Amino acid sequence: MSALPPQTLDDVSRRWALGAAALCLLPLLLQLPGWLAMVIAVGGIALTAAGWRRQLPLALRVATTLAVVGMVLAAYHFRFGRDTGCALLAGMLALKPTETAHARDARSLIGFSLFAPFATFLLDEGPVSLLLGLVAALVGLAALQRIAELESGDSRFALPISARLRSVGHLALVGLPIALVAFWLFPRLGTPLWGIPQRAMGSSGLSDTMEPGQWLDMFVNDDPALRVRFFGAVPRQDQMYWRGPVMWDFDGQAWRQPAWAQALPPAPSQPSSTRWDYELEFEPTERMQLVALDIPMQAPALARLGLDHNLQAAAPLTSVTRWRLASSPPARYQADLPDRFRDAALALPDGFNPRTLALAREWRRDAGADDTAIVDRALAWVRRDFAYTLDTPPWGRNAVDEFLFDTRAGFCQHFSASFVVLMRGAGIPARVVTGYAGGYKNVFSDYWIVRRSDAHAWAEVWLQGRGWVRVDPTAAVAPERIYDTLADRMPGAGGLFGALGSQAWNLRDWMRRGWNNLALGFDAQRQSQLFKPLGVDRLRSRDLIILFGLFTVLAITWMAWLSARGQREPDPVIRAWHRLQRRYRRHGLACAPHEPAGQWAERVRLEHPDQGAALAQLSDRFVAWRYAPLKPGPRSVDQVRRELVRDLRRHRPLSPGGRP
Amino acid sequence: MLLTRPRHAEQLPVSIDRRRVYVLPTRFGLFFSVLLLAMVVGALNYNNNPALMLGFLLGGAGMASLLAAQMQLTGLEIAAIDAEPVPAGQPLMVRVHTRAEPSRRRRGLRVDDDGAGGGGVPAGESALLNLDQGHGEAQLALPTRRRGWLELPRLRVYTLRPLGLARAWAYIWSDAPLLVYPTPEEHGPPLPTGSGENVQTRLHASGDDVHHLRAYRTGDSRRAIAWKPSARRDSLIVREYEQPLGADVVLDWNALSGLAWEPRVSRLARWVDEAERDGRRYRLCLPGQAHLGPDRGVQHRHACLRALALLPDATEATEATDPREIA
Repeated sequence: MSALPPQTLDDVSRRWALGAAALCLLPLLLQLPGWLAMVIAVGGIALTAAGWRRQLPLALRVATTLAVVGMVLAAYHFRFGRDTGCALLAGMLALKPTETAHARDARSLIGFSLFAPFATFLLDEGPVSLLLGLVAALVGLAALQRIAELESGDSRFALPISARLRSVGHLALVGLPIALVAFWLFPRLGTPLWGIPQRAMGSSGLSDTMEPGQWLDMFVNDDPALRVRFFGAVPRQDQMYWRGPVMWDFDGQAWRQPAWAQALPPAPSQPSSTRWDYELEFEPTERMQLVALDIPMQAPALARLGLDHNLQAAAPLTSVTRWRLASSPPARYQADLPDRFRDAALALPDGFNPRTLALAREWRRDAGADDTAIVDRALAWVRRDFAYTLDTPPWGRNAVDEFLFDTRAGFCQHFSASFVVLMRGAGIPARVVTGYAGGYKNVFSDYWIVRRSDAHAWAEVWLQGRGWVRVDPTAAVAPERIYDTLADRMPGAGGLFGALGSQAWNLRDWMRRGWNNLALGFDAQRQSQLFKPLGVDRLRSRDLIILFGLFTVLAITWMAWLSARGQREPDPVIRAWHRLQRRYRRHGLACAPHEPAGQWAERVRLEHPDQGAALAQLSDRFVAWRYAPLKPGPRSVDQVRRELVRDLRRHRPLSPGGRP
Repeated sequence: MLLTRPRHAEQLPVSIDRRRVYVLPTRFGLFFSVLLLAMVVGALNYNNNPALMLGFLLGGAGMASLLAAQMQLTGLEIAAIDAEPVPAGQPLMVRVHTRAEPSRRRRGLRVDDDGAGGGGVPAGESALLNLDQGHGEAQLALPTRRRGWLELPRLRVYTLRPLGLARAWAYIWSDAPLLVYPTPEEHGPPLPTGSGENVQTRLHASGDDVHHLRAYRTGDSRRAIAWKPSARRDSLIVREYEQPLGADVVLDWNALSGLAWEPRVSRLARWVDEAERDGRRYRLCLPGQAHLGPDRGVQHRHACLRALALLPDATEATEATDPREIA
């Protein structure tokens, strides 16, 4: 194959290539930390502008490359993860345009750029990323098309952007059938081939530690953490406690979830008559931590329950996952507490919070053996003397003392932690439970949304005869803060526009959930049940491969038909006329290219007098339709055309070879 | 249906049906598919559906571009291939005439000679072929090395469009050979003096004897303008000269017995051109053929050069006839 010499890019093609690269980079930049994205974007634009006319010296290019790699690695503290890799890709892409002089360079630039939307989807599967990514991919293809035109030596016609996008869009549409077949039938992996790389930076999910002030970020994050659909009974809103990590260990500053609790089987619990069946749709968090309504009865497949009914998935939740669960508020929950658990639930670090411990001992003396009285007394005190606020001073060494005796204002972390310390001081086994509280029903559909800002911490105390009992000291102070009872806790709230805004938010979330259902949550398990409505319970891999092959052939056939259709004559009359001519051609009576319709019919009539008359009449009508001005008559134009098409289609040469 | 490629030269016109069209990915197409493969495997591993969809969409568009590339060629009809003959050694400008149903845009197709030049001769460059209104032609330079009939190499019509991911091509192999004239000698003796009877004169703009004056016609040299008479008459007058020209030139093969075979052909070719340029009537006498001419003009020149081009090779000629008869 004789290769053309390297084709120098013209300005139009280069603009297309660079524009496509920039569009591909955009969604990825939106996922990076703001300052890093700014530096990459500004640096990329500056370097591209500097190298527009003349290539930058090699030394400078090497230096900038090293600088970018160094900067990105430093930004992620030299930890390698998915986001580090993505940021590196973004940096490299921003540098690449400086060396785009030939068609080949432009092609490879676009090729690598198309990886940027892919990387974006690994970080975020949201609709904005998706839309930007698809647009970028389309523009990338359009740029490839422009370069192919340049290389074919026929770039005379500078197509307007819209026309170019339309023609690429046509290609994508023709390719859509096979893309859809592949998407639904290409066998998914039940288990990954290699490990899932975690993000180097933590994301705002529930963590297995609770440190002071840690949750303030989460409280301002209105993104959904999970969505729930109930089958049958729906719990009251103030019963919606989504149980997450349970903290036993306290070192004076932070609360921790002990590893041993997660390793043990769930403690025995006696369910009450109430039972909630529901399906959780969990947004990705990169952690294994799941939540379930207080308290889940058993673990679903691919997850396990710890001793304290903390639900953990078998693998990090990197994409939207669904969980079918059943929960019941317990009648008795671990009524017998073995000594080692009791010790763990009473342990306090030495030398912290002396005032609290003194108060606790005093209460114990007053109450005697009545644990319930102590709990009630604490709640009464909280209700009377405490306030809810997110604006809290940093925690000192004796944080609980400061909170209970000095500030007396804080949020759920302060309330739950201080309450548990107070209970333990009084000799009542207690632990901190974290998770989400409340929920919010989407008015557009029958499902509930729990947002990250609904993160909550409460307490559990162990009472003789009843086992673990949930106590929420925050609810005693600010129930509206927890249960979403106030209208202004709805997202996007405030005034008339607030109401509209909140409906828009509802609508958006509803669409997002639809998209989750349709595409994001589609995995090996749902794929295997694809034909359940048709009575096929489970598709095995082999079935899928056969189906995939079958439908691929169908899709390609369809694509070929779609592509060939461009050649179809748009006018039905001419189409029918051509088909009639083809029928005669089979009989050796083809109409020559130079032969007018009437002349051809005349020739056929001369050769085969028996059958020429009908053809002559048809050709007259055809010619009249094509060339004569339409005479106003009793029949409409459409009617005339329809009849002509019908007659042309019906007409057949009399017999093979034109001989009776 | 297997793909078919012409194994023998065939008669034009040839219409390219889909079974004659080959489609294979270009190097960039391979790179692109590796990229997509990486994307799809990565997306499957992370069970990331948007990424998977992106990969499949790009793949689908790529497949569609393969089909589109094929569609660019199918239905194309190669109507004829011709060329103005050139002296051997100069590139032959081959015109490939094509037509197709005008319902589909076929732009930016290219024609090349499939590297058939081979043997040290660089392959000809490829030529652009656009079809406007259902027909179009490409002009392709083919290298020539020797006089005589040039068997057309297998030509290739190809396109990289629409995305540059795949190259679709089809071979055309015409059985109609094209003529290559002999290379004229570069430096040689002047035309032999005429020996015919008809002495004629020709008007010549740079002769010595003043003949007469005439009105200026566009294209006349400024030096030929007679300024003084022009000034008298208010219009431009041009001097016309007359120069006697010789009689008919006889270009006789047998008169050049001192030369080897091919140089003789070259010299005669040069003389034909020279006689034509000087506007003289000439006659070409070749062994074993009727004399051509005397005559002049484009037709005659072509007839003479064609006869020279089709002279057998020295070796063939020796085998065919008694060498003494020719030499």
